[in-house]
Amino acid sequence: MSIRALWIITHEKGEHVSVRFSRRFPTVEYRAKSLAGSSYQAVPEDSAVLQLLLTELGLADPGKPYVAQRDDCLNQQRTPALELHVDSSAKGILWPVLVISRGPLILACLPLVEAGEPRPPLSSLLSVSQGLTLLEGLQSFLGGSEIKTDGDGLAPRLALMPSVLQQVCPLGTPLDVPQARAPSTAGVPAAAGSPRQPAWRTGQHRGRPAVNVALTETVRCMQYGDPSKQDLWDVYGTVTCKCDVEGVLPNVTVTLTLPPNGSPLQDILAHPCVTSLDSSILNASSVDDGDGSAFSGPYKFPFCPPLEPFKLCSYTSQVPVPPILGSYQLKQQQEVNHLRVSVNLKLHESVKNTFEYCEARLPFFNRVQMSIVDVKVSSGHLDVNKEKNLLVWVLGQKFPKSREVTMEGGIRFSGQLPGPVDPLCTDLTAYIKLYFKVPDLTLSGCSVDQHSVQVYSCAKPKIVTCRELQSKEYFIWNSTGPAPVSSGQMIL
Amino acid sequence: MAVSWVERVASFLRSPSRFLASTTAEVFLVELLREQRDERVTYDVKLTMLSPLCEHPTLLCPSACTGEETCLELMSVFSHCPPKYTEFRCQLLLTLTTVLVSTGCVSAHSHASRDFLELLLKLAQDTYYDPADVPSALRSTRAAACECLRELEACCPSLLSQHLELLNGLRQQENPRHHQALSGLYAVVLRNGVHLLARQAGAGPEGLKALLGGNAAVAWEAEPDSPALTDRAAPLPSVLGPSGLGPTLQTGPDCKELRSVLSSLLEESYLLTPLSQAALLHALTEVVAMVSGVSPAIFKAQLLRLLGTSKVCLFHCTLLMKAAFTDSLFSAEDEAFLLKRLVALCQHPQMSTAAQLFYTDCLVHFPENRPIGAADGGEALPVLLTPRLAASLVPTVFDEPATMLARLNVSALVHLEEHGAREGGAAGGGLAYLWEHLLLRLHVVEHGGDRAAVVTFFRASFLFLCHFGHVERHAADLRRRLCALYLRHCRLAPHVLNLADRAQDGPVRPGWAVALLRSLQGVAVSAGGDLAAVSQKDLHWHLRVLARVAEEGQIGQGSTVDFLFAVATAASPPSRNEDWRLGSDLLAVCRHLLAHPGLDALLCPLADVLQHVARHHGDTDVRDHARLYYSLLTALSREKLAGVLANGGGGANGGRQDNKRVLSAMVVESQDLTSALTIHKARTPVFHLVAKDRAGGWAEPTPAPEDDEAAAAGTEPGAPDADVLSSYRSQLLSSGAAAEIALSYELRHLDVGPAGFDRLFSLRLHFEPSAGRFAALADVCVPRLFREGASAAPPAVTLTLRPRAPYPGTLRCSAVFTAQDELTWHAALPDVHVAFRQLFKPLPVPASWGPALRLRAFERLWDEFCSDGDGGSVGEGGGGDASPDRACSLFCGRLGEAELEALLEEHFAPFRVADPGDATGHRVLLFIPPGSHVLLRIRPQEDAVQFHMATDNWRLLPHVNDFLLSVTDWEARNGVDS
Repeated sequence: MSIRALWIITHEKGEHVSVRFSRRFPTVEYRAKSLAGSSYQAVPEDSAVLQLLLTELGLADPGKPYVAQRDDCLNQQRTPALELHVDSSAKGILWPVLVISRGPLILACLPLVEAGEPRPPLSSLLSVSQGLTLLEGLQSFLGGSEIKTDGDGLAPRLALMPSVLQQVCPLGTPLDVPQARAPSTAGVPAAAGSPRQPAWRTGQHRGRPAVNVALTETVRCMQYGDPSKQDLWDVYGTVTCKCDVEGVLPNVTVTLTLPPNGSPLQDILAHPCVTSLDSSILNASSVDDGDGSAFSGPYKFPFCPPLEPFKLCSYTSQVPVPPILGSYQLKQQQEVNHLRVSVNLKLHESVKNTFEYCEARLPFFNRVQMSIVDVKVSSGHLDVNKEKNLLVWVLGQKFPKSREVTMEGGIRFSGQLPGPVDPLCTDLTAYIKLYFKVPDLTLSGCSVDQHSVQVYSCAKPKIVTCRELQSKEYFIWNSTGPAPVSSGQMIL
Repeated sequence: MAVSWVERVASFLRSPSRFLASTTAEVFLVELLREQRDERVTYDVKLTMLSPLCEHPTLLCPSACTGEETCLELMSVFSHCPPKYTEFRCQLLLTLTTVLVSTGCVSAHSHASRDFLELLLKLAQDTYYDPADVPSALRSTRAAACECLRELEACCPSLLSQHLELLNGLRQQENPRHHQALSGLYAVVLRNGVHLLARQAGAGPEGLKALLGGNAAVAWEAEPDSPALTDRAAPLPSVLGPSGLGPTLQTGPDCKELRSVLSSLLEESYLLTPLSQAALLHALTEVVAMVSGVSPAIFKAQLLRLLGTSKVCLFHCTLLMKAAFTDSLFSAEDEAFLLKRLVALCQHPQMSTAAQLFYTDCLVHFPENRPIGAADGGEALPVLLTPRLAASLVPTVFDEPATMLARLNVSALVHLEEHGAREGGAAGGGLAYLWEHLLLRLHVVEHGGDRAAVVTFFRASFLFLCHFGHVERHAADLRRRLCALYLRHCRLAPHVLNLADRAQDGPVRPGWAVALLRSLQGVAVSAGGDLAAVSQKDLHWHLRVLARVAEEGQIGQGSTVDFLFAVATAASPPSRNEDWRLGSDLLAVCRHLLAHPGLDALLCPLADVLQHVARHHGDTDVRDHARLYYSLLTALSREKLAGVLANGGGGANGGRQDNKRVLSAMVVESQDLTSALTIHKARTPVFHLVAKDRAGGWAEPTPAPEDDEAAAAGTEPGAPDADVLSSYRSQLLSSGAAAEIALSYELRHLDVGPAGFDRLFSLRLHFEPSAGRFAALADVCVPRLFREGASAAPPAVTLTLRPRAPYPGTLRCSAVFTAQDELTWHAALPDVHVAFRQLFKPLPVPASWGPALRLRAFERLWDEFCSDGDGGSVGEGGGGDASPDRACSLFCGRLGEAELEALLEEHFAPFRVADPGDATGHRVLLFIPPGSHVLLRIRPQEDAVQFHMATDNWRLLPHVNDFLLSVTDWEARNGVDS
């Protein structure tokens, strides 16, 4: 349940690679050596590890189209654990090197394997899930997905790493993940004699009590406009809380409710601070047909809040219709570079017609720049980006009363410069991507009533709840061209 | 100064080996420790300076002794450090632990470890609380001390097992703010204690009770010989291994103390951070798995919370519990629920990619209550995983490569499970979907997908083939599509070839790879139709592909050679003819063709290609190599050629993946070739020829020629004496056989010979006769010679000598052969001496001549040699001219009758001429090639034997004399009168 070493690496698309931070844990190494016996492989120096990692990640030698060690089709990387071949012998292998990589940041660690030969399955090693949890915690501490290698964000955070690790992983055994925000100074330690304090709640809140509960639902969608292909959409929601309440072990309960005919929330995951869960809450799952138990709330989450904001729970939901139904038709005209565009978007009647923003983007790949855009829209306005390969249809805050908007017209491509390349979107394979956000709405109908939030504390806190719906990967594919199908439903 | 230290430390941590190249570890350590004592140095810098010791303690303290000294130093630093520098104090404790453990100092005999343990226990118990002091500092130091104790216990199990009661007390004290650290420490000590107890034979409930109640004094001096400190136990492996559970402790149902401890730990587990919670639960799972008296149901209350968690480590903990306790904790219903949950987590939008991948791996290693297969830790699908459940796990084109491969794998397993692995099972939407998905990936590659997309497609293809290679429809289609892909994007050749290689080595149905290569050959050679239209790069790839295809013995290479000829002779563009790279690519194909089993059929066209390149290519190097290959092709035997090429090519397997044959291979080849083609000189003889029989080898009786004429002439009993001699002489002239002697030898290793020559092949023996004694000999070939036990008969060698003079002589002898190192060697053999007696032959007369005729011939010759008269009476034979050489002589030897008989039997048996009329005398006729005769009449006298000699060559008499002397071998040497 320990890790032998940890590395933080940055790169820019495989170039300018460097180990920005590394830490070895010799006591764990001592255990590794004793447990592994003859199959023990010491951890090489950082530069060697870096090279091996890059090879396994396919980032080494970015200029070469084919490198046998890097591109061999036998390297089936299907787990988050890599094998690093330190030398050519069968024994000289470092395993399991866990790697999570996002943007310019690569985080890697080598968990201890508490068994000798033969190699146990990855799933039998607790140190692997521990390592992954630590790496993910470090990743969000270092700036999450919006990391710039040379920006202001990373360097100061890296400078904090030694003291952070002293707290969360002093001798190679991860105890906690670093808090993404700077250590809270608001927290005041509890006085003697108070009840036992959770390790993840490092102090007490002093000040005006307040509870914020935000419910965000995200909808993903694939619409094909083709009767032979099933349209897909799914919805998932996250409840984020920030609880400034007094007490060593305060007790808060948040209740999610569904409208009377709402479909049950599925795949519910709860934050570990939730003290107890009802089995009926966990029963509904998106992966089977539902057993008809039809528990549809209320969903109660009693918890003792940490001081910092946290994700109380998340869920998925199956809603009967997508919020915006669209059709997209591209037709090749007689001239090679002339396309006829026809788009229709229809806002479902159950969806509130008040957007924070709503726009449709029509990218054109593998073509030269647009020269003439002769397109009319029934609502909103149309922009062409600077590179002249993307149409942005800004629909604004509202659909018209009819809840239906159209775009018709022709586009000619005869510009000088080639546009962006996408190997998937060739010929008439094209899509519209919708970006929208609707405040105070959830598709599942799920809501957190302000009055249902219970706080067992002396002072009555101010309770604020909000909800919103946003889109992500909301695609409407051109129905006149082939479109990639991505659904297991096809199998059944 | 401070900055320089920070830089120095950073430089050390970047690469300790490079840093220590400029200084020594000893010096660096001394400097580090000196700075720790320097009051002018800030604690921030001191903190940094602990890192080298904290991360590479064994480099700086190579011995236990240095480790001990360093620890004592650091402890004195700790005692002098004000409490307010918490971070430094904590780091110092961690460093001390690291150094002690890594240098192997943790033992009762180490002052440092005793003092340090005492310090840690004191810090852990320190409940001193002063609000004016920095309480969080105190908390941190105590937590750090607990963490150090936990690590010491993990590295040296049972170190603290005597203190369980104490630790439990601390844990339960009111409001200990470091309860997480104490819980973790207690769990590890308990787990180790139980583990070691369970390993002991006969341990039972009393042992457990004693363990839990263990409460040794804190002062370590009280028990310097504590067993924990004296015999250092190695870190304990996990008892929840895949190979089943570890040791168990038989306690009976009564484990109240343990149960209550476990319950209280579990109750408070909620208060721990997820990571510590998971570690605690895992340790307790191990304890319960080892103690038979505690029911796993003790975890029941935690399960729902754990099943609903969003944290990977906590859910994983549940899976590990499932693996440990199966149906004693999880009912069949629970199992179905857990599986459903796991499948949902594998694709939950809130899960990170790494977590999804991990869960997918857990899915194919799902701990079932009733596992059916894959007990060996291999992948297997849980029985309850239905296609309906798995439908959410199909790969999509938007997946990241690793996710896609993991899902493709699971989906393929599901499909195979559902439809069976038969060809008939190819039906079903699942396979169709996966095939469509593969085609979509192919589409991306065809339309300019980046390198990652290409690599992913080929990995997916390999995975698909591993699962569905038996579905001929798709396997053949994939082959066709790969060829089409190659035709459009020749640069993908290395990927396609890599796939072919792996498919050939791996579990894909045999023959697929060869079929793919055959199709690729078709694609490549079809470019030969219009070479001018093929770009230089594509041509390079075609040649690479053909080189790989040429490795396949099953694939005919006729079209390849035609293509090579077309490339070699193509007129345009002229620059190609100058291109060294292209030339060497072409030669690489030729090279493989040289080793192809179907080379015989390719000999002429390939020779044409090589000759053309050797003459007309614009690059000297290419020309030279072509010439070399041409020589190899035309001059070497198949075996030798194969040997040469195998040597030149490096390892068969490793070589295939490298591009070794393109550029640098030429050099490699040249060196190996030089070695392979050179005849190496052995400094000392390796083997020798040993005459086959004791006497030094009688000449094999040469079969007489079937000379019917002579026989017809000679067999007539009534023929006159003169006719006997003349017919003898005429047949002697006409048949050459009489002039030859055949000597039999065996070829044997010398008893003491150089090493490395125990197994020799293709030996060719060459002989040089001395000073014109014999006509030149033909070389003798021996297939092999092994230095092995007596069981294998040594090879026989028969030398057919054609003497030019009737005297003994010497053959100088040498051999060329191949040794086991596959190199060709030349070695001299010891000279072969041909003794006088080895020249003896019976009278060379046709086989049809009976004894009477032989006797007559003897008498006539005797008369002729002993007479002084002219040779005219003998006839027209050559003997008449040799009259001056005729001589008679007498040799006497002291022999008894029996000895004489033995001598005759031994030395003269083949040469005797019987005379039934003369009982007392013996006649011996020795014919000595090329044409001399020695006749002996041997008459026993009273105490001696007289050897009357007659010869047509008096120069033989000394040799005859020596010979008779050697065979009669008596001490008294009687005078010989001649």
